[in-house]
Amino acid sequence: MSEQHRDPSASGAPARPAPALSATNKFHVVAHDLPKVDGEGLVLGRPAYTDDLAPANALYVKLVRSPHAFARIVSIDAAVALALPGVACVLTWKDCPRVPYTRAGQGNPEPSPHDRFILDEFVRYVGDEVAVIAAEDEATAEKAAAFVAVKYEVLEPVLNFENALDNPIILHPEPEIHEMFPIGFEPKRNIAAAYHMELGDVEAEIAASPVKIETTVHTQAQQHVAMEPHVAFSYLDVHGRLVIYTSTQNPWHTRRLLGLALQKPIREIRIVKPRIGGGFGGKQQIHVEPFVAMVTLKTGRPARLALTRREVFEATFTRHEMRVSVRLGADPNGHLRAIDMQILSNTGAYGEHALTTFMVAGSKTLPLYNKIAAVRFGGHVVYTNKVSAGAYRGYGAIQGLTGLEAAMDELAHKIGMDPVELRRMNMIHEGETSDVFRIMGEGTEGVAMTIESCKLEECIARGKELIGWDPARLVREVAPGKLRTKGMAIAMQGSGIPLIDMGSARVEFQDGGFFKLHVGATDLGTGSDTILAQIAAEELGVEMKDIVVHSSDTDHTPFDVGAYASSTTYVSGSAVQRAARSLREELIAAAARKLGAAPGDIVYENKNFRSADGKNTLSLDDFSFDTLYHDGAAMQTIAATESFSGEKSPPPYMAAFVEIEIDTETGKVDVVHYAAVADVGTPISPMLAKVQIEGGILQGIGMALYENVRYSEKGHMLSHNMMTYPIPSREDVGRITVEIVDSYEPSGPFGAKSAGEIGIDTPPSAIANAIRNATGVRLTEYPFTPERVLAAIRAGAASGSIGSRLEGAGARTAPRAK
Amino acid sequence: MKLTITINGKNELLECAPGEMLTEVLRRAGYVEVKKGCDTGNCGACTVLLEGKPVLSCSYLAARADGKNITTIQGRVDEARRFAQFLTAEGADQCGFCAPGFTLTVLAMRDELANPSEADIRHYLAGNLCRCSGYEGQIRAIKNYLEAQHE
Amino acid sequence: MEIVEYSRPRSIDEALRLIRDRGGTPIAGAAWLRTNAKTIKLGVDLSELGLDFIRETERGVEIGAMTSYRSIETSELLAERFGGALGAAVSHVVGVQLRNIITIGGTAAGRYGFSDLNTVLAALGAKVVLYPKTALDFARYVETGAEGPFLIEKFILPARARAAFSQMRISESDFPVLNAAVAKTNDGWRIAVGARPGATRLCPRAMAMLGSAERPSDTTVAEAAAQAPAELRFGSDIRAGAEYREAILPALLRRAIAEVRG
Repeated sequence: MSEQHRDPSASGAPARPAPALSATNKFHVVAHDLPKVDGEGLVLGRPAYTDDLAPANALYVKLVRSPHAFARIVSIDAAVALALPGVACVLTWKDCPRVPYTRAGQGNPEPSPHDRFILDEFVRYVGDEVAVIAAEDEATAEKAAAFVAVKYEVLEPVLNFENALDNPIILHPEPEIHEMFPIGFEPKRNIAAAYHMELGDVEAEIAASPVKIETTVHTQAQQHVAMEPHVAFSYLDVHGRLVIYTSTQNPWHTRRLLGLALQKPIREIRIVKPRIGGGFGGKQQIHVEPFVAMVTLKTGRPARLALTRREVFEATFTRHEMRVSVRLGADPNGHLRAIDMQILSNTGAYGEHALTTFMVAGSKTLPLYNKIAAVRFGGHVVYTNKVSAGAYRGYGAIQGLTGLEAAMDELAHKIGMDPVELRRMNMIHEGETSDVFRIMGEGTEGVAMTIESCKLEECIARGKELIGWDPARLVREVAPGKLRTKGMAIAMQGSGIPLIDMGSARVEFQDGGFFKLHVGATDLGTGSDTILAQIAAEELGVEMKDIVVHSSDTDHTPFDVGAYASSTTYVSGSAVQRAARSLREELIAAAARKLGAAPGDIVYENKNFRSADGKNTLSLDDFSFDTLYHDGAAMQTIAATESFSGEKSPPPYMAAFVEIEIDTETGKVDVVHYAAVADVGTPISPMLAKVQIEGGILQGIGMALYENVRYSEKGHMLSHNMMTYPIPSREDVGRITVEIVDSYEPSGPFGAKSAGEIGIDTPPSAIANAIRNATGVRLTEYPFTPERVLAAIRAGAASGSIGSRLEGAGARTAPRAK
Repeated sequence: MKLTITINGKNELLECAPGEMLTEVLRRAGYVEVKKGCDTGNCGACTVLLEGKPVLSCSYLAARADGKNITTIQGRVDEARRFAQFLTAEGADQCGFCAPGFTLTVLAMRDELANPSEADIRHYLAGNLCRCSGYEGQIRAIKNYLEAQHE
Repeated sequence: MEIVEYSRPRSIDEALRLIRDRGGTPIAGAAWLRTNAKTIKLGVDLSELGLDFIRETERGVEIGAMTSYRSIETSELLAERFGGALGAAVSHVVGVQLRNIITIGGTAAGRYGFSDLNTVLAALGAKVVLYPKTALDFARYVETGAEGPFLIEKFILPARARAAFSQMRISESDFPVLNAAVAKTNDGWRIAVGARPGATRLCPRAMAMLGSAERPSDTTVAEAAAQAPAELRFGSDIRAGAEYREAILPALLRRAIAEVRG
């Protein structure tokens, strides 16, 4: 990429005006940029990740994997492998309890079908686990794996999700599998889940609409590529309990589901999440834990399993591939009357997250345009003999939005309206609601919600400034054969799953005047330990250094569903705020008793208690020793544990504007500038929120332009390492500008919503719209490789539409017809 | 086979199989700051300095390192800590898995390039992938760090 | 990677003996070898044979087989003699860390289709010298290989040339979808195209059309570039289809020729 793409000087946009009431004026810790609590240790490489901590005498576990996309295991002969010196055990499906479960890290009852056994007689994708080998060292384990002789009855696979529904080949004939509650599970039709809803009469509204739009997009499976491959180790502690250290986003779900799969009581299992090297949803499932657990239970010895990068690509989870069809009915002035969204989603070999990602494609997109008379959403999630799809940042919203924002831009083109004005005319505002909130949840019915914070107008206004949006001049030729063009999209996400996600926090006052903060919440590197400490420090009136965080240990920290659904700030943060608030009240009450006053007469500030008349004072530090050592019968540990489950899921919002450069002779697309303005409520740490969003945007750009999960005709994954699946490097993208507008969500801790996912949603839409603006052609197959873009350019040139888009002949700002 | 490698100034006597790459050998010897992120030499998490030059330890034959000087991040702790301050000031130290390799490469760049432009910085560090941060915060941190070096 | 026996000879004669007489496998950078998980019975490490050099001789510019990509990228001599073409060719490979390891000899020996450097060497009319004395035309060597077993000692480039490199890749550190290099030496124009996905080949008709003109006209350049796809064979792979490679080749060539011509 040429250096000119990365001109660091300003785009010409005016500097952001200083906000009238800055959050930093109100708070002393929250909304300030403070270094992460774990920063230095990680940069210096101190042992902190699962693989660094494994016991030295742990057995090495290796997995034998299926070379076939679909097969029945006829026999497994491990005799030669077992005879190798140093091989401790070889386990097959016959050694596993015959209990179906789901690997999806979700609350109980899980909205994913229980369609998976630890090991099964059938293998359903290339890479599916066949046998578990444990040996004294890695080389022996690998050698033993090569000596396990497996006979397969090879079956014909279903590889195209368009052919899966009602295909005579059935992937899941097992009688034991089941759904936990009705999710539309029809395995005999290869349906993992299905859902349908309608408000109003969509067909009638569309029929009556003077302007009709129909768009279908096909989004691809995407890989997370967290830098740390999946890894776990297990051992039996001194009491014979099973302890597993694992790189996971959801310790409690892992513990509960493992208990089910292993037929062990939950109380006999402990899950610990150490530092983990990224997740993005890729670790919101059970992966390697059952295998190390089975080896430890069988041999009594510690066991470790670290996946190779190839195994992470081939045999963990991808994003759900989806075909998203959107129909719009509108008036000629741009008012939307109806939206119909129909989706076919590919969940791969097993149904983890099948229903929920599919529903989120509608529930976290359709409410953006809440002024419609009718809306409909439906479709199926089907099984195919490809690697299982699971949770991935955006979680369906990115796929659904890609279809919806494509249709909206097509509408703008059809009526000759500025795409920005079309959004503004139809989008949701503060104080409004959408019936979709009430009807569609994640797997179940949703929760009605009035939007108490929505700054889309401000986000759009600022985004326009940052990119220099002029609807009459979106496309210009900067050099022979080089077009620059702009596109935009808006997005929403959620903040936790209301009434389903719950987090708890415990705060305890310690000698030296500091506080232990114990949370179940899982820090994936996102900085959640830090922002939760900020919330506690703010509420307790102390500094960050006075809060010591310990997280994600099912034995020692309170419950939390885990890091997903953008829940940590809103749900876990609220629990921390409540716990800190309770503790503060307890502290004041106890100090009051000591000072012989009523709690109402105590002023607590600057780490000091004083009576209203100023005569009696007690420092926090002194009090910490008194309550633990000096105060006789009145000594106590002052602590508080509180929980929170949201009654709503207030959406963060984003307006994104992209400028790309297209080489019209090669089809290469370079992102020159991606400007995104977000409403996340109060950012507990503005810089961490910004980095989360920047990271999400780059993953979204990767999905739009570079990343593609590819298979051979026989179902072998061709894109199975970082050579064949390159993620964006720092030379791939020009400038990313992220700004966060002033906003305040009353239901969130200190006004916060969430920032974890919103960044990823817009790039596939915004970039598609930019290409459409330049070429007149809507690309609908992701990713937009140079090959596909060149084909679009040639089609556009043939129809004469490129010339008309160049400078001086752009779109009208006002709609064409009355 | 037996190797003598000087690691962070310490003479280490190590065992390895002839075909082993350096990452394996280093991690086994306790240098877990050298990370394994991929199998194909793409991610940069395994970066070490060999005679002061950044190399991928996963793609360097351990046997060839016999008699040579290797530096991991632990061998440049003070400088790394100084750079870490700039990284943490941007919140760009996310999951941290890429950080030791990335930081070493930044130090090598600072030693090798006199006044790198942003394009030079991106190019020198192109072999250190990060999936968390989107790179922007890291670039900000490096620019601030290099500026501070000149003061 | 499994190596049964490892040897690191100090003399090139000894290295050749191990390769020729004992069936040893030469180990250059080892980076690509490692990803191919074969068992090597005797590995012959070439790193102490003094083959890491870039120097000027009466024959031209010589680059030793064990010279790293990074050395090539930062060499002032090579930048001065060949413009930025060699540096541009090597700079896309992953990162400086890998470029400090992989060598010009390693990627030449492999005759890899994805090699950008091989394309530039072919365009420059380089010679590859197999120790002790066999000098082969590099472009020809890439096409036909050489009677083995052999040991690459060095490459001989002309003393200077105007050269340019152009390429297409989907993302910056990915393998190329197509590459091309153009050079103007005293002997005329040379055009090489690689990553077809096959290994680099010359375009003799296009070269002939440019002839010995110092500054061929835009029309001549366009015509030569437009007919180039017909001179070559293209294939489809995970990164692109054959038709796409054919479709973009003329543009890549026009740009490289224009850059050389000025």
